[in-house]
Amino acid sequence: MAAALPLPLGWRHAEPLDFLSAAGRDFPRGRISEITGVRSSGRTSVLHALLAVSTGRGEHAALVDTNDAFDPRSAASGGVELSKLVWVRCGGNAEHALRAADLLIQAGGFGVVALDLAEVAAGALNRIPATAWFRFRRAVESTPVILAVLADHPLAKSCSSMTIKLPPRKARFTGCAPFLLLRNAV
Amino acid sequence: MFACIHGPDAGRLADSFSPFVELVDEQTAVFSITARQLARLKGTQAAVASAAETAILAARNLPGYTFIAPGDEARVLGALLIDALPPDPEIFETFDLWGIRSLADLARLPDDALASRLGARGLHLQRLARGAIARPLRPQLPATVYAESIELDYALKLREPLLFLIARFLNDLTARLKSQSLAASAIDLTLDSNQRRLSLPFPTRDVKLLLKRIEHSLEHQPPEAPVTKLRLELIPTEPRRVQHGLFTPAAPEPEKLELTLGKIRGLVGEKNVGYPELFDTHRPGAARPTGPLLPFRYFRPALEARITADRLGTRRFQGRILRIAGPWRSSGEWWRSDLWNRDEYDLELSDGALYRIYLDRLSDKWFVEGVYD
Repeated sequence: MAAALPLPLGWRHAEPLDFLSAAGRDFPRGRISEITGVRSSGRTSVLHALLAVSTGRGEHAALVDTNDAFDPRSAASGGVELSKLVWVRCGGNAEHALRAADLLIQAGGFGVVALDLAEVAAGALNRIPATAWFRFRRAVESTPVILAVLADHPLAKSCSSMTIKLPPRKARFTGCAPFLLLRNAV
Repeated sequence: MFACIHGPDAGRLADSFSPFVELVDEQTAVFSITARQLARLKGTQAAVASAAETAILAARNLPGYTFIAPGDEARVLGALLIDALPPDPEIFETFDLWGIRSLADLARLPDDALASRLGARGLHLQRLARGAIARPLRPQLPATVYAESIELDYALKLREPLLFLIARFLNDLTARLKSQSLAASAIDLTLDSNQRRLSLPFPTRDVKLLLKRIEHSLEHQPPEAPVTKLRLELIPTEPRRVQHGLFTPAAPEPEKLELTLGKIRGLVGEKNVGYPELFDTHRPGAARPTGPLLPFRYFRPALEARITADRLGTRRFQGRILRIAGPWRSSGEWWRSDLWNRDEYDLELSDGALYRIYLDRLSDKWFVEGVYD
């Protein structure tokens, strides 16, 4: 088992990944990695790329989707093998999401366990005790699991071994008004 | 010896001789018969022979009761016309060209020469004509039910004593499954009149796993009243056979994963845990992608929006519309109650995010479906 999971440079939505590779970062196994940024900053692109690489290698991955925001269609188009992805929808309950992620890590055998806490209400995030992140760190450190936490801003603080803060991106439309076509965000 | 009865009531008549009856068709039944039972067959349209196929052929084509002594098959069957054999138009045409009219004619042909000209099928017909096919009986047996039940003199209020009884049942039932090389694909648990079916992701006879599955179900959906009657049935199926590869990445152990997902289902609900699947449809969000798509995040349910000439507002965010692309009209499945008909737009808001919004043409309302990310 490799010590880290590198993301592909030639991935379709490469801009946020270019940012990562410029920083020379791979996702370390047995550690917590955070992907943070505002809306449309590319945080979901990075998560899809991570899941695509992991499931593409034949590993099983799990996504704990706190706000029921996952789009299987765009994930499949990005290369995520849906048949190897366990999807847990928590209906906005952050407490359930943390418990589900804990259970999935304890079950073992996953390459990536992704915890999507983006767009979760600040009140619910504030109620997560710091000890929860210490427990997660201890749970994953002896395993090959990458615990990827997706959030609006860093949550795990010192428990995370890598935090990716994605800057806002600019939308790229083609054509002339009123016949515009959204192409990408750069 | 095998007996074959041919007639409209063959099945019922055969059942009076033996519990193991093979129904060849609606009018023909074969079974194993003892010497003492032979007398009861007299007066019926039946045949007795040392091989099941010989008895079938004789019962169907010879009038009344026929007894064929061992070694006498070719002589008795030889009088039958070639049409008595199971129909095979191509081979029968060849027999006609060769001048083969009866089973005796066919039985006399040399084996090797027949096999080289007509193949295995021709040889099979010749062996039938000689009465030389021996096969075991294939009786239709009722499916075995792997179930245990108990009626208690006292009501069980607590889960632990109930699980203790269930564990005892599981031990017995899985031992019975193992003796037949079978495994359980589902559990039917009946507590008084309340029945529940617990499906299993793979066939198993692991008592610990089955008991945990039942325990989780009882935890999340406890019985409404103290239990006095209990019935447990395991639905049998072929066991799982897995060949592991040396270079295949490690996957979660199915037993452990199922228990974990069972616990998570208890937390978030049965329908909220699983593997995502796309369908062969044009329905927004469920269709298989036909090309590259920008990564997207949904707001579920979609946020109702207020739109003016240059502003968009929802209960969670608002802003000035900088650029907008669209509309893209889509509609479909008008024959269903959950049809859709909408105009989609992509827009850039002053908060820097890219949203997908749509006008629901059925309700004439605007919604923000999600954000490109």
